[in-house]
Amino acid sequence: MTLRDLVVIRLGVAVNLVIGQVAAALLLPVFLDTIGTVLVAALVGPRAAIVAGLTSQVLNAVLSGNFTWLPFGLVQIVIALYAALAARLGAFRRLSTAIPAGLLLGLVAASASAPISYFLFGGVTAGGVTAVTTVIRALGAPLPVAVAAASYSTDLLDKSLVFALVAVVLRSLPHQMAVRFPMLAR
Amino acid sequence: MIGYLPGRSSLHRAHPYTPLAVAAGLLFLAFAFRSPAAVWAVVVAAAAFAAAGGVLGAVLRPAAMLALPTWILLTVLHGLLGGPPHLALGPLALSAPGVERALVFGGRIAAILFAFLTALATVAPPRLVEAMTARGVPFGRIYLLVSTLTVVPRMRARVRQIIDAQQCRGLRIGGSPLARVRALGPLVVPLVLSALAEVDEQALALDVRGGSAAGRRTALAPPADHAGDRLVRWTVLVGVVAAYAWKFAGAGR
Repeated sequence: MTLRDLVVIRLGVAVNLVIGQVAAALLLPVFLDTIGTVLVAALVGPRAAIVAGLTSQVLNAVLSGNFTWLPFGLVQIVIALYAALAARLGAFRRLSTAIPAGLLLGLVAASASAPISYFLFGGVTAGGVTAVTTVIRALGAPLPVAVAAASYSTDLLDKSLVFALVAVVLRSLPHQMAVRFPMLAR
Repeated sequence: MIGYLPGRSSLHRAHPYTPLAVAAGLLFLAFAFRSPAAVWAVVVAAAAFAAAGGVLGAVLRPAAMLALPTWILLTVLHGLLGGPPHLALGPLALSAPGVERALVFGGRIAAILFAFLTALATVAPPRLVEAMTARGVPFGRIYLLVSTLTVVPRMRARVRQIIDAQQCRGLRIGGSPLARVRALGPLVVPLVLSALAEVDEQALALDVRGGSAAGRRTALAPPADHAGDRLVRWTVLVGVVAAYAWKFAGAGR
């Protein structure tokens, strides 16, 4: 890994940690805490994206004090691998391909996070998702179904937005800057 | 939430890997048990760990602030909405198996919070960097963990500047959910592009400081790793392995 890759990874981690602040300022019911991971996957590759995702998870726990988020590092690995594959297949070239690819990532990410949430924490994790879980459970759905439904509904929206935003960022990159990232040319 | 709290306790003086190993061991132990009594015994051990570091009082408040909402949601999700048989508790009917599950999950969360907040409060970041350097941890990993923490406040300030600037240009960040989603682009794109523009400059600065130098780095003042530290870390490892062996042998209740 080159020094330049390291700096891009650090940027990805910082974006992951900070962009949630933008989502909160806009009162959006999404996390947007994987934009940096997806961006690094598209600019540098899967290995760097995995490092960015795991570092984000650790630093997020350190900065918030909420260390119960650590086991969700596995989801960051899944996202990094998927995003790198999507970038290689050209999913970020157009919004019309980025959004469906993001929706599919939502399904994949929820399939990874719902079992962690259910088996390790009894379905109680981040406030927004748990509120949805509680509503679905109160409507009479069994707990595993409520946890899965809440994860899928939030992840589908979150990841499609993440992919759309990364596609917009990559399309907005000036040519001189874009040519410095060989992954983008592939 | 909480950072390093200077002190002279045994945890403050220990090799930085020791409190981190104990915290990680407590996390694994919390998931090794499935009965409320065993999980809450791990919580007591985590509280004792905090007391040994002289930070029990300081850790209690943030741990409670983080754990309380989760405990309330666990009580609702498992206790109130759980299956039969139910226990009458005043006007409430709580699910007996649900309450047991809520105690297990709530205990795990409490143990994790106590353990890692204690490690955070007793491990000085510069000593951790020295210890990692002395152990030959690659420069890149140390740089990512330590340097990113210094970038985050700067980027947060930049977010505030961008929000202010875009609002001056007429961007509305309120309104319908769709309008708020549309506002994301004008906020996220300049933030990421301005950060990407600095990548080459920062890579060059790192290179000038020897960031790409091969070979093992020399720590200026590596923390001492006493036999007692190593004994504690081995005991934690053996304890965790024994707990999981017990769990998978079918006795972990």
